[in-house]
Amino acid sequence: MDDLYLDNIDEFVNDQNKIVTYKWLSLTLGVHVNLAKQMLYHYLDQKRKEGSARLHATYLVSGKFVENGTTSHKVSVVREDQLEDAKSKMSLTVSVHVYSVQKAVLKDSGPLYSADYDAVKENLRNCSRYSAIRCADAVPRSSAEVQQACETTQAPPPETEQIKANHSNLASKPTSKQPKGIMGMFANKNVSKNQDSSKEIKLEQKEVTPVVETSKTKPAPKTNPVTNFFAKQAASKYFNNPISHTVGRTRYFPLDSKTKRLEHSDSEEEKNESRRKKRRRIKKPEPDSSDDEVIPDSPPQLQEKRDPSPSPEIQVKKEPVAVSHSDVSFHI
Amino acid sequence: MLQFLFLTFETFASYHSTLFVFSSLSHQKMTTLTRQDLNFGQVVADILCEFLEVAIHLILYVREVYPSGIFQKRKKYNVPVQMSCHPELNQYIHDTLHCVKPLIEKNDAEKVVVVIMDKEHHPVERFVFEISQPPLLSISSDTLLSHVEQLLRAVILKISVCDAVLENNPPGCTFTVLVHTREAATRNMEKVQVIKDFPWIVADEQEVHMQEPRLIPLKTMTSDIVKMQLYVEERAQKAS
Repeated sequence: MDDLYLDNIDEFVNDQNKIVTYKWLSLTLGVHVNLAKQMLYHYLDQKRKEGSARLHATYLVSGKFVENGTTSHKVSVVREDQLEDAKSKMSLTVSVHVYSVQKAVLKDSGPLYSADYDAVKENLRNCSRYSAIRCADAVPRSSAEVQQACETTQAPPPETEQIKANHSNLASKPTSKQPKGIMGMFANKNVSKNQDSSKEIKLEQKEVTPVVETSKTKPAPKTNPVTNFFAKQAASKYFNNPISHTVGRTRYFPLDSKTKRLEHSDSEEEKNESRRKKRRRIKKPEPDSSDDEVIPDSPPQLQEKRDPSPSPEIQVKKEPVAVSHSDVSFHI
Repeated sequence: MLQFLFLTFETFASYHSTLFVFSSLSHQKMTTLTRQDLNFGQVVADILCEFLEVAIHLILYVREVYPSGIFQKRKKYNVPVQMSCHPELNQYIHDTLHCVKPLIEKNDAEKVVVVIMDKEHHPVERFVFEISQPPLLSISSDTLLSHVEQLLRAVILKISVCDAVLENNPPGCTFTVLVHTREAATRNMEKVQVIKDFPWIVADEQEVHMQEPRLIPLKTMTSDIVKMQLYVEERAQKAS
């Protein structure tokens, strides 16, 4: 039994050319995630020693990160060649483990998300079966509670609309900005595209906030499994972060505060870009800071934030958590 | 007897890139339909053309036909995909597929091929999408669309990792799209110009056939409404 898994992984990676993430492996083989991570590590180790196949791996690194004097906890998924670089940037590395193993060199993080999308979706009801994170209070709601929550969702749309209106200024890319590099060549034609993309952001926000109103704990699958799945992924992000293991912290992060932080960080980036000279060369896309999950170390006011639809003033003052929509973050 | 089409149109129209959203089609319970039910044929053609558009963009990204700077992450089938922002490129791909759509509707398109050519216009890679639609479409479940979405997602994933089984392309590659049709479909194409100033011409033998290609299967998908097979024909020696 001990070495059979190596053959299994070999088949997945080499014969089927799959991207084997630790999560997918744990769901497929029915083992705990930590065991899956070790399996991947051993497989990688063995193959490298044999020198047989060219394999590539991605790693999940998490640790303390100091930026402009503020310390935050950063979790990111990096390619193997950027691993040492990522570790050196952190003041304290809390954990490093293999995230995935595959034959191909991944140019971006998209396939990593697609790789376990179906497996996770199938196991939505018991996705924490093999997980290392437990919360005794997190139980699915009964259908009566879900109904009630649905009704209350219909009520505060004017409030959420107002919040979105405030943040649409941050979210929509200002058309006066000069996009760098090759994107600058499409500047004239970018106007409607930006409007489209800002609509897309708003659309995603709309998707996220109603689900937050209904549940903060693991939601029972309802009529719209897609948005549920989205919320589930986002919710599990908190639980994956080792530092917010304390029950109080994890449950009080409303989702929309995160998305707003995302918009905020984007707008700061854009202002910086507009100040720089417009360049005509084709530039490699810069690592998107919004790809990282950055959680600032506990300012105490975070604990108060329990209501799902906070007023805009509170939004501006506090230092909310930044999060990306995808389950993983990736440095390119 | 197969006839080939080859697109050579060089000048592009200006275009604003569209936002790709997987349109949720009606979930009416349908039983058995024949190909004559054109509405459904249109629906299948819509799905396939949307998919081909995403696939072509992804192939251009993964095979580095164009620099990665022009690509942007978008969402399709609930997963991130890379799509180009270049308006003229998008217009070209869009128009190409717009012309292909009527062929798919009538089940006249046998294969859609994305050919990547080197500087001398010799093909180095051919991504072949073989499409076949069953004559009798029996749609029985509401979950058909999410099932099809799942299958298309799997094909997209396979394209993302095709780097592992293919050799690197030489720099300065270009691409083109060929359509292999059944029988007399092209005669109608010539009569009716689907898009103004966007002519299709018969393909060169040189572009269509590769000498002794390596065949690499990527993915096969079978669903109630369409069967698709994706494989790559690769030239043995790519660097010229």
